[in-house]
Amino acid sequence: MKRFIKKKEFGIVVITVLLSILLTFVSSAFLRVDNFIDILRNNSVYGIMAFGMLPVLISGGIDLSVSSTIALCAVVIGNLMVNTGSNIFVVFVAAIVVGGMIGLINGLIITKFQIAPMVTTLGTMTIILGAVLLQTGGNWISGLPVYFKEFGQAKVAGIPTQIFFLVASGAVTWFILKYTLIGRGIYAIGGNESSAVRVGYNTDKIKIFIYIYSGIMTGIASVVHTSIVQQVDPNTFTGYELTVISTVVLGGASTMGGIGTVLGTSLGILLMGILQNGLILAKIPTYWQKIVMGLVILIAISVDVINRKREKSKLVRVDVAE
Amino acid sequence: MNFIKRIRAEHSNEVTLMAIFIAIFVIMGVLSPDKFLSSNNISTMAYQMPEFGIMAIGMMITILTGGINLSITNGAALSSIVAAFILSSEFSQNNPILGIMAALAGCMIVACLTGVINGSVVAYVGVAPMLVTLGTRTLFEGIGLQFTKGGAISGFPRLYSRIGNGDLFGIPIPLIIYLAVIIVSYLLIERSAWGTEVFMVGCNETATRFSGINTKKTLMKVYIFSGILSGISSIIISSRYNSAKTDYGSSYLMQSISAVVLGGTSISGGHGSVVGTVIAVGIIQILSTGLNMLGVNRYIVDIITGGILIVVLGMKFITKVMDDKKMIKIRAAGISE
Repeated sequence: MKRFIKKKEFGIVVITVLLSILLTFVSSAFLRVDNFIDILRNNSVYGIMAFGMLPVLISGGIDLSVSSTIALCAVVIGNLMVNTGSNIFVVFVAAIVVGGMIGLINGLIITKFQIAPMVTTLGTMTIILGAVLLQTGGNWISGLPVYFKEFGQAKVAGIPTQIFFLVASGAVTWFILKYTLIGRGIYAIGGNESSAVRVGYNTDKIKIFIYIYSGIMTGIASVVHTSIVQQVDPNTFTGYELTVISTVVLGGASTMGGIGTVLGTSLGILLMGILQNGLILAKIPTYWQKIVMGLVILIAISVDVINRKREKSKLVRVDVAE
Repeated sequence: MNFIKRIRAEHSNEVTLMAIFIAIFVIMGVLSPDKFLSSNNISTMAYQMPEFGIMAIGMMITILTGGINLSITNGAALSSIVAAFILSSEFSQNNPILGIMAALAGCMIVACLTGVINGSVVAYVGVAPMLVTLGTRTLFEGIGLQFTKGGAISGFPRLYSRIGNGDLFGIPIPLIIYLAVIIVSYLLIERSAWGTEVFMVGCNETATRFSGINTKKTLMKVYIFSGILSGISSIIISSRYNSAKTDYGSSYLMQSISAVVLGGTSISGGHGSVVGTVIAVGIIQILSTGLNMLGVNRYIVDIITGGILIVVLGMKFITKVMDDKKMIKIRAAGISE
C-alpha cells in the first residue's frame, strides 16, 4: 500500500476518484456503465493519439504535427472509401501507411538535419495542413460506404469497437516501452542523450522509430474518429495536438523527457474524459468548461512539480542527517 | 570595407535573412510590378505587419530563456476583450477620450496579469513553460468566451479605430507603435543588464542562479514583458477590426514561433536577436501578401511558409557541418606540417 501511495500516479488517482465521488452526488447519470462506455468511446481518438505521443515526450521530443497528420489520414481514407468503395482492411492499411510516412519524414528531418523536434513538427504541421486544405478546399467528405457505418456502430459484448482500439494501442505502447530494447532506449534518450549514445543505443534509429510510431497511432486514430462521426471535416482537427499533449502531461509525463508511463497516460485520458463528461452532466455552461479545464491542467501539473521538489529536498535532508 | 566585413562576420544570420528578404521583394516586384509595388499594397502591409511583429517579439523573449508562450494569442484576445467592454460601455460613448484611456489602461493591466500568472507558475512553482502556457491558454480562452459568449464585441467610439487605421504625417500609426516596440525591446533585450540575464538564463539557468542572479525575478519579468507586448498587439488588432473576439489573431501563434525560429533564435534558448526576428516577420509578411497578390491559393502560401522554415534551418545545419569539416582540414594540415 505504501508503495502505491509513493507512486507518481497516486496524485492523479486521488483527483480522479474525488471528482468521480463528487459527480456521483451531482448527477445520477454519472456512475453508470453505459456512461463510462460513452466516456471511453468519445475519448478514444485523443487516447490513441496520446499513446502515440507518450514515447515522443519520454524521448524529450514533441510532435505538433499530429493534428495535421490525422486530418491528412482522414481525408485520404475518406476519399478512398467514397471513390473506390474499398474495404475496412485497406482503409486501416492506408491510414497507417500515410501516418507512418509523415512520421518517417519528421524523424528523418529531426535526426539528419538536427532541427529541434518542435520546430520540425511545427513546419510539417503547417505544410501538411496547407496541402490537405488545398486538396479538399476545406470541404467535407460524406457519403461513406455502408460497411464503414456498420464498423462504426459495431459492438463486441456490448462494448463499442473504438474502445478495443484504445485498449490495444495502450497495451502495445506499454509492451514496447517496458519489454523491448527500443523502449528502454527511448527512456535512455530522454534521460540523457549523450549517455544513451555512449551505452551503445543507435539514437537516430530510435528517434525515427518514435516519430513513425506516433504517425501510425495518429493514422489509426483517424480511422476511429471517422468511424465515430461518419464524415470527414478537414478543419475539425486544429488544436488536437495541444489537447493530446496536455492529456499526456496530465498523466505525469514530463516534456523535458525521461519520465512517463502508460498507466499515467491512461489515467490522464480517463481524467480528461471524466472531467468533460462531468462538466456536461453537472450542467455547467459551455464557456465555464474551458476555464475549469485550464485550471485543472494548471493545478495538476503544479502539484506534480511541487511534490517532486519536496521529495528531492527530503533526500537532501537525509543525506545531511547521516 | 572593413566595416562591411565586420558586420558580415558578426551578424551573418541577419545578413542572410536580409538577402532572402530583398530577394523575395525583388522577385515579387518583378512578377507583379503593378500590384505588389503599388503604394496601396505597401501601405496595406505596413498596417498588417505591426500586430504580427509585436506578437513575434513577445514570443521571442520567452524562447530566449528556453521557454515558450503558447498562451500569447489567447492572452492578447482576453485583454482586448476587456478593453472592448470598457469601450462599448455607455461611459465611453459619452466621453470617448476618457473611455479610450480607461480601455487602454484596462487592456494593459489584463495583459500584465496574464504575464504575472504565466511568470509566477513558471518561475516560482517551476513547471515547464510549455505546459504552463498550454494550461493558461485554455484558461484565458475560457474567460474570454465567458465574457463574449462566443460572439464579437463591437460598437466602439469612432476615435478608437484611428489607432489601427490612422496615420501620423503619412506614417501609419501601427507602424510607429511597432518601431517604438522594436527600439524598446532592442534596448531592453540586447543592451540592458536584465537582457543579459535573459540570455544567461537561456544558456544555463543553474549556472546563472549560482552566479548570484535572481533567475526567478528575471523569468517573471520575461513573461510580464511578453504579456505586455501581446496586449499592445491586441490593441492594434481590436482597433483594426473595430471589435474583439476570442479567436482574433489566433493564427499568429504558430506564425510567430515560425518567425522567431526563422529569425535565428535557438528554440532551446540563449541565442537570438531582435533584428533577426523583425526581418523574419518581414519575410513572412511579404511572402504571404505577395503570393496572395499573384493569385496563389492561400493554402499554398502556408505550405511555402512551412517549407522555408525547414529549408532555411536545414541549410544552416549543412553549412555548419561544412564549416566544421573545413576547420578539421585546416587543423589537420597544421598538425602534419
